Amino acid sequence: MTKLAGCIILSLAWLPAAHAHMLNMTEIQIAADTTANATVTVRIDLGQSGLMTPESYWDAVSGADLPQKNEVLNRALEALESKIEVVVDGGLRDLKLRDYQIKAVSLEAIENPLTPQMTEVRFALTGAMPTSESIIAIRLKDTLDVPWPCLVRVDYFAALPISRLLTEEARSSGEIRLDGSRAEPGADFLISAVLKLQAWLPSLTWLMVGVQHIIPMGSDHMVFILGLFFLSTKLASLLLQVTAFTLAHSVTLALTTLGYIAAPAHFVEPLIAASILYVAIDNLYSRKVAKWRLLVVTGFGLLHGMGFASALSELALPEDSMLSALMFFNLGVEIGQIAVLFIAYVVFGWLQNWPLYRQRVAEPASMTIAGIGLYWLIKRLA
Amino acid sequence: MLIKRGLAIVMVATGIFAMEVAMSVIMKGDLLFPSNAAAPGQFPEQWIHGSKSAMDNTDPAVQVHRYNEHTYILRENKAINYEGAFMYVFFGNGVALLIDQGSTSSPALFPLREVVDELIANWEEEFDQSSTHLIVANSHLHGDHYAAWNQFVDRENTTMVGLTHEEMMHYWGFSNYPDERLEFDLGGRKFVITGTPGHQSSEIALYDEWTDLLYTGDMFYRGRLYLEDWDAWAASIKRLRAMADDYPVSYLINNHIEMTKTPMVDYPIGTTWQPNEPPMQMSLEMLDEAVKATEVINQAGIYKYPDFLIYNEVPWAYTTDP
Ligand SMILES: [Zn+2]
Repeated sequence: MTKLAGCIILSLAWLPAAHAHMLNMTEIQIAADTTANATVTVRIDLGQSGLMTPESYWDAVSGADLPQKNEVLNRALEALESKIEVVVDGGLRDLKLRDYQIKAVSLEAIENPLTPQMTEVRFALTGAMPTSESIIAIRLKDTLDVPWPCLVRVDYFAALPISRLLTEEARSSGEIRLDGSRAEPGADFLISAVLKLQAWLPSLTWLMVGVQHIIPMGSDHMVFILGLFFLSTKLASLLLQVTAFTLAHSVTLALTTLGYIAAPAHFVEPLIAASILYVAIDNLYSRKVAKWRLLVVTGFGLLHGMGFASALSELALPEDSMLSALMFFNLGVEIGQIAVLFIAYVVFGWLQNWPLYRQRVAEPASMTIAGIGLYWLIKRLA
Repeated sequence: MLIKRGLAIVMVATGIFAMEVAMSVIMKGDLLFPSNAAAPGQFPEQWIHGSKSAMDNTDPAVQVHRYNEHTYILRENKAINYEGAFMYVFFGNGVALLIDQGSTSSPALFPLREVVDELIANWEEEFDQSSTHLIVANSHLHGDHYAAWNQFVDRENTTMVGLTHEEMMHYWGFSNYPDERLEFDLGGRKFVITGTPGHQSSEIALYDEWTDLLYTGDMFYRGRLYLEDWDAWAASIKRLRAMADDYPVSYLINNHIEMTKTPMVDYPIGTTWQPNEPPMQMSLEMLDEAVKATEVINQAGIYKYPDFLIYNEVPWAYTTDP
């Protein structure tokens, strides 16, 4: 592609300058450099700023060899140096002019904001090098008139540049953390810590998934466990039932997940609801834990295991570590169950020696559980 | 006793049922954005297009047009800034995407933040949504499209994509700009994003699978297409054409109107009054015209087409006006 053809340009007429200062907006870049210092680079359409007239700018460009012609330019550069304020960790830092490049094709081009004639000025940031923990801010003094808005770009320790926009109304960038972090660094830390832990120990994820399948997602399993809780006031008998239930559902969970048995959800789900209803009604009519109740609970355990399996099948188990994932999922389910029982003990345990416990606590609770079971049963059959 | 207990159990079940019914009424489901057919929308007959005297203009600073229930097109009042830039707000579940922030920084003259906040609040009320996250993004990095960016920096629940090339690439996930096509999920509303440099070297185009709108920003619109890099633009136009081959496109939408209704004739540059404007939306036939142009043009200069003018590597201030 050939560069700009001169004949086309000459054949065209100039238009009066439009008002917008959009293509010639100012840019300030702060970057670390190799001299153990920082460079502040300013790209500015000086001829359109309040610092120089287009004529004096053209003089500075075209008559660069005459020192007196540069007087206005020098004053403009000094103004930039003193009116661009860089604050590092609360302290104002001086800028020191390093070098500049001044360019323009013609006076007419300088006069027209649609053909920005930009000057690039580089300053050294004096003082100690900011660190990755530093917080900096850039602001332009009220007396500095630059083509607005002014884009601030910080290239430092963070992997990405940081951008801010200064406007005539908002002349300060506000705090910029050089490490690229935004507000709430604590939250970021927590998330990254969890992610790191998961990468290090993927099974932990499956443990958490397991817990979630009791609290809060596995409300039917939670209610069933509570049903067991309200029958027995003796810890030993409760633990025996929960253990039987756990062993049973571990077996069917494994067998179903590994594909040895299949259990369609439309068959298992209503049965799980029925098991809740059964346990709750049984609570109302039996004074103590019958021997056969253990058998029934074991049977229900087999059922619930298939329920867990269908929930687990919606997640993709890792092929290479299927067994360990399954184990941790199951362990998570146990933790969830124990948590439910623990909470139930904290809330109701101290009432168990009350003579009216059965009448005032266990029976109403069992009736509520039965109601929930009935509701699920009808809903799942419908 | 038996009946009493049985009744209590049935009452609990009924109570839960009643609660669930009540909850399902209160909690509405997710908004759906199916891709299979173009969700319809409306463009205005005429956009607000400035006035003979900019000083006497009484139009709103930002025109808000509802293209459809989850798609809004905003236009900056031409009397405030002659660019009359269009901006877009796309809604998905729990999230809104604002593309571009106009040509005026001053919140007093151009209260974009206020307008967008109100738009989001009204949308939330209408669709039973809350705490909608706002993404403040840009089609490309020219000052006339992000002047009011700063109005959003202190907004809560907001992601500022950033005003540098690197931040843009990082946010959208480009690793091979501009050739890639990226999928972007705006709360269940799927977009396809690709790189379209040429007018400016960080520009992106967005295709909305729900409305089938293809947003082409500043690189293709009814006006003076200022190209800083011809080769990049030609490749981008072809990339858009390829996108339109792979996805159904309802309309091409973009950032400015600078053409009059008379073919090949634009409004004078910098005008704040554009009576009798053509529509903003464009058709695939016009894109095909541009594809043909990429095969013909091999020199810097100004090239006229009925619906757009190509300013190939020519300074922006030049115009075809006598
Ligand atoms: Zn542009």
